[in-house]
Amino acid sequence: MTTMLNLMIFLPLIAGIAVLAMPSREQAKWLTLGTSIVVLIMSLIITAGYISDGASGLAYYNEVTWIQAINVKYATGVDGLSLPLVVLTTALSVLIVLASWNVEKATKAFLALYLFLMTAMLGVFLAMDLFLFYVFFEVSLLPMYFLIGIWGGPRKEYAAIKFFIYTLAGSICLLIVMLGLFFLTPQHTGGEPLWHMIELQNLPIFAEGGAYYGWAKVFFWLTLIAFAVKIPAAPLHTWLPDAHVEAPTPISMILAGVLLKMGGYALMRITYPFFPDAAQAFWHIVAALGVFGIIYGALCAMAQSDWKKLVAYSSVSHMGYVTLGIAVLTTAGFYGAYFQMIAHGITSAMMFFMVGVVYERAHHREINRLGGMWLKWPGYGGWSLVCFFAGMGLPGMCGFIGEIMVLLGTFEAAGAGQVGANAAPTVYTLGILASSGVVLTAGYILWMFQRVYMGQPRPDYDHYEPVNAREYAIMTVLGIACFVFGIMPKLVFNLTEGTFDHLLNVIWPVGQVATAALGG
Amino acid sequence: MHTIEWLIVIASLLPLVSSMVNIFFGKKVLRQNAGWFAAGVMLVSFLLSFVALVMWMGGGHTEPLTNLRINWIPIGQGKYLQLGVLVDGLCVGMVAMVTFISTLVHVYSVGYMAGDKRFERFFAYLSLFTFSMLGIVTANSIMQLFVFWELVGLTSYLLIGFWFEKRGPQLASKKAFVMNRVGDMGFLIGFGILFYKLGESILLPPVSGGGMFEAIAKQITAEGYSFTNPPMWLTAAGIGLFFGAIGKSAQFPLHTWLPDAMEGPTPVSSIVHSATMVAAGVYLTARIYPILTPGAHLFIATIGLITLVMAACMALVMTDIKKVLAYSTLSQLGYMILGLGAGAYSFALFHLITHAFFKCCLFQCSGSVIHAAHHQQDMRYYGGLKDKLPVTAACYFICTLAIAGASIPFTNIALSGYYSKDGIIAGAVNYGEALSSLGAWANLFWIGPLVIAYVTPFYMARSFALTFLGRPRDQHLYDNAHEAPWMMTVPQVCLAFLAVFAAIFPFLSLINETREYMVSLMGTFAPGVQVWVQPGTESAMHHGYHPVHAGLLHGFAWILCIGAGVLMYKDGMTISSRIVRLPVIHQLYTWAHNKFYFDALYDVCFVNAGKLLAAFAAGFDRLFIDKLVNLAGSITVVGAMGSGWVDRRVVDGIVNGLARFAQNCGALLRLVQVGRVRAYVMVMFATAVVVTLIVMVITLVPGASAAP
Repeated sequence: MTTMLNLMIFLPLIAGIAVLAMPSREQAKWLTLGTSIVVLIMSLIITAGYISDGASGLAYYNEVTWIQAINVKYATGVDGLSLPLVVLTTALSVLIVLASWNVEKATKAFLALYLFLMTAMLGVFLAMDLFLFYVFFEVSLLPMYFLIGIWGGPRKEYAAIKFFIYTLAGSICLLIVMLGLFFLTPQHTGGEPLWHMIELQNLPIFAEGGAYYGWAKVFFWLTLIAFAVKIPAAPLHTWLPDAHVEAPTPISMILAGVLLKMGGYALMRITYPFFPDAAQAFWHIVAALGVFGIIYGALCAMAQSDWKKLVAYSSVSHMGYVTLGIAVLTTAGFYGAYFQMIAHGITSAMMFFMVGVVYERAHHREINRLGGMWLKWPGYGGWSLVCFFAGMGLPGMCGFIGEIMVLLGTFEAAGAGQVGANAAPTVYTLGILASSGVVLTAGYILWMFQRVYMGQPRPDYDHYEPVNAREYAIMTVLGIACFVFGIMPKLVFNLTEGTFDHLLNVIWPVGQVATAALGG
Repeated sequence: MHTIEWLIVIASLLPLVSSMVNIFFGKKVLRQNAGWFAAGVMLVSFLLSFVALVMWMGGGHTEPLTNLRINWIPIGQGKYLQLGVLVDGLCVGMVAMVTFISTLVHVYSVGYMAGDKRFERFFAYLSLFTFSMLGIVTANSIMQLFVFWELVGLTSYLLIGFWFEKRGPQLASKKAFVMNRVGDMGFLIGFGILFYKLGESILLPPVSGGGMFEAIAKQITAEGYSFTNPPMWLTAAGIGLFFGAIGKSAQFPLHTWLPDAMEGPTPVSSIVHSATMVAAGVYLTARIYPILTPGAHLFIATIGLITLVMAACMALVMTDIKKVLAYSTLSQLGYMILGLGAGAYSFALFHLITHAFFKCCLFQCSGSVIHAAHHQQDMRYYGGLKDKLPVTAACYFICTLAIAGASIPFTNIALSGYYSKDGIIAGAVNYGEALSSLGAWANLFWIGPLVIAYVTPFYMARSFALTFLGRPRDQHLYDNAHEAPWMMTVPQVCLAFLAVFAAIFPFLSLINETREYMVSLMGTFAPGVQVWVQPGTESAMHHGYHPVHAGLLHGFAWILCIGAGVLMYKDGMTISSRIVRLPVIHQLYTWAHNKFYFDALYDVCFVNAGKLLAAFAAGFDRLFIDKLVNLAGSITVVGAMGSGWVDRRVVDGIVNGLARFAQNCGALLRLVQVGRVRAYVMVMFATAVVVTLIVMVITLVPGASAAP
């Protein structure tokens, strides 16, 4: 299993090189598709193994010494926190390869870069050594930079550079923290610096009253900034609309579907477990950022006339729930934030795909120049309804679970627990403001839906070629996923439950979490 | 699981199945049979629930059945939010009513929607709508209720916007959904407060094995409060949850979507306004009843009172037949909500059921009229249609009597609407008396419903007279009018029948069963406190009908006001148009006609303000935050250019300077190296002289050698 785990990470890389060597485009496409399917199957086998082994925490861990001098290891493994995201990545990858079927310009390079990106993404989720994580985290930027910068729209260079520098600026913060850990963790281990991401959880030296609590606060903020850029948490989000608008459809899908999740994942993997006491000290600022993102993203989305930009801002709004759910330090909040990432991975990828289908034919994305799409293509309209209502958080579809759990988790925080006894007024304020998100979301999505889908089709649609079987296949799979995860959230929670309970117990010792869950 | 539970679950799921079949196979396989297929499935569903109803009544159950519980969403530490069913008297009564009305609406729609190009899709939505409503009435936790609550929102969006090619339905469906979401926001807040206080036990029923009510009892006792002195948060949670009901049941101030929802096909109106959607809010309020504190009760009663009076005023002046009925629904919902707030629990829910029958019938009749009148909805063009649509006219008149609360004074013989409305008015009178703290204001709680009991027959008679009586005012319309096909008239007749006789069926006793169970359980957990309502209110209420007291107050209302309405309007608007020219009445008329300017107010305050705020946020994002980022980028570029200059001029300058210095030195030295032997000898000699001189100086000067 461990072999398969590592093979899964590097198979796309090898295939990427092979793709470049392929004689024809068609062969390159099929090879890419085949690789992505194989990787998907591997990830499913690993999931099946994880379940049948009854594993609940870290499993299939393996390490090889990499840089002896500073104790860096090549260490990989899975736990409940990474597994659902890995499957999300591999599953979306197959669909994204299908969605890229019509890329004409330098197809082989495109596919190869995409495969490199896949390695980086899987590496981020599977690395258990902080140094290795950092490497993959940084490496993921490069293919993305080229994918936007070469295959993008009119302002692709600007968008690509903005994306790259923005994220890189965040990564510098992470680098500083790593330097800090390099110098400080030997105090804890009594020798070598510590990079193992599970062992780094809640070190006494970084706890309140520990020798380096002051540094822990600094590190908390630095890592938070590093990952908030990726999420993206407003106001560090402005790279996102540009990147999305310029990126080609499949790249938008992977960007929204997986790359944003790296930020949320890293918050749950690094920022909060490493420095829980610092997180507790600053919870209200982070939570306020989350609520701000929800409302601000929704308002910005409402004002857009560019359809894709609207969807991009909806990501800012929806990912605000992730930030909020993590920040309130409750069990329901953590669960909800995690589920929201999976759900958003499905719905946002689907939304971008829906936009792409029309853009490919209309060559513009002006909402006010569209209309009547439902009558034009009833099947496409039906799946769009599913997708946008799932994004809106309608029960029975995946968006609902994450949203409601984050909201409930927010209110739960009022019961003392982790955020301090006097937090109730703050919590209520945040909870009420966050709840207003449901109205705003309904507002911008329905308004958009009315303008794009309702009404009579326009005469200039006549020459549009019909939505083809490949496109229907992609939207059907994603649409069904919306329902499946909305009706059976346990598919995700069964995998995460053990890890989460353990994680929460490590970072907030048992008694506290239990009282928080009971509401004080 | 008990057989009754199985029956209820299957009856609830069947509409979902039929909806899915219609979505996937409706167009290709079922085609024109889609309607009959859906209606048939609904009928089966009704029969199952009827069997369940009979079994329940014969079973002598004293406790709700809640055996089906599925863990749905984990909330940590092995606890879950659950899905499941709750079967009690109220539930089986509601399921039977909903499936019955839905079956009739399905049948009616086969006639009404014939020829529509999305015929099968309509039935898919209609069945899904019914399924969502059944989900609400069988829900056993607030969580599940909310799930189906939102599904009702979605399906109503689809149904109201069914003809989405046109602008009206587009706007109306969006408005309905967003308004409902505003209510949902309140619901979520209330839900959140309860969740944080109670954790996983936010199940709906006061189940003896540890339901929500028990958890609340424990919680408030632990906090040092009691049921007579409840904590703030409980009131806030109750009002928050009730906000959901305000949205769904279209109460003031979120009532504006309901009249607009008339843009949907008429069968949709008939089901939205009777068995589903608007009923959901009332049902929710009834289910969360145990947690409503006196403060919350006062809030609910006030909202109900305002809606009841306001909507009746608007119903008086509308000329669109569907709008009259829509406002009449609002007003009747106000009765129910007021009844719940005032403590007339059973009668409020009973009114929900009786109202469902006659209001559904009224809407179907209006649909038949509109069908006959080629989609002319303005009553000013009608008149004399009773000769053309005799069945419809008869049904409409019967239901007018039912909604008016017709009875034979001083006897127990009356139409269904009388019993339920009477109970609510009686409850309101008691509530007004008990609310001594409000002083004279408390009297409004019974004056309002009483006055409106006189207004209701009047506006209903007005619509009846304008439509069916007198001479035709549009001869062309009249000549082309014809009675609807049997698929449409048969459901009308069935519903009219029930409008008369619903009170004979044991709905009230079913509701009372639920209520008594609730009250007894409250007695267990909070000894000494019977109910949340002020003492005296309930005790006077539920000992059967007592028409004498209330009967004297409004027993003659229907005769007087229907008579007046018919006399005044049977020849069109001639008399009334003279009346509305009177000074004060004219003002009132203008206000009511403009719906008290709520739409305009909301447009300015929320829609436009929202758009403005959105535009501001987007501008802020583009012009400030993004500019800030670009500024940072620009500063970096400028900095880079600066450092480039420094690099070129300073760093490079130093390096170059050093190089140039070396070069210059070399050049200087080159001057010396002239290549002639004599010159070299000269230099050597001179050097030797100089060195010798220096050595001499060093050795001869005494202090110099002493230097270290």
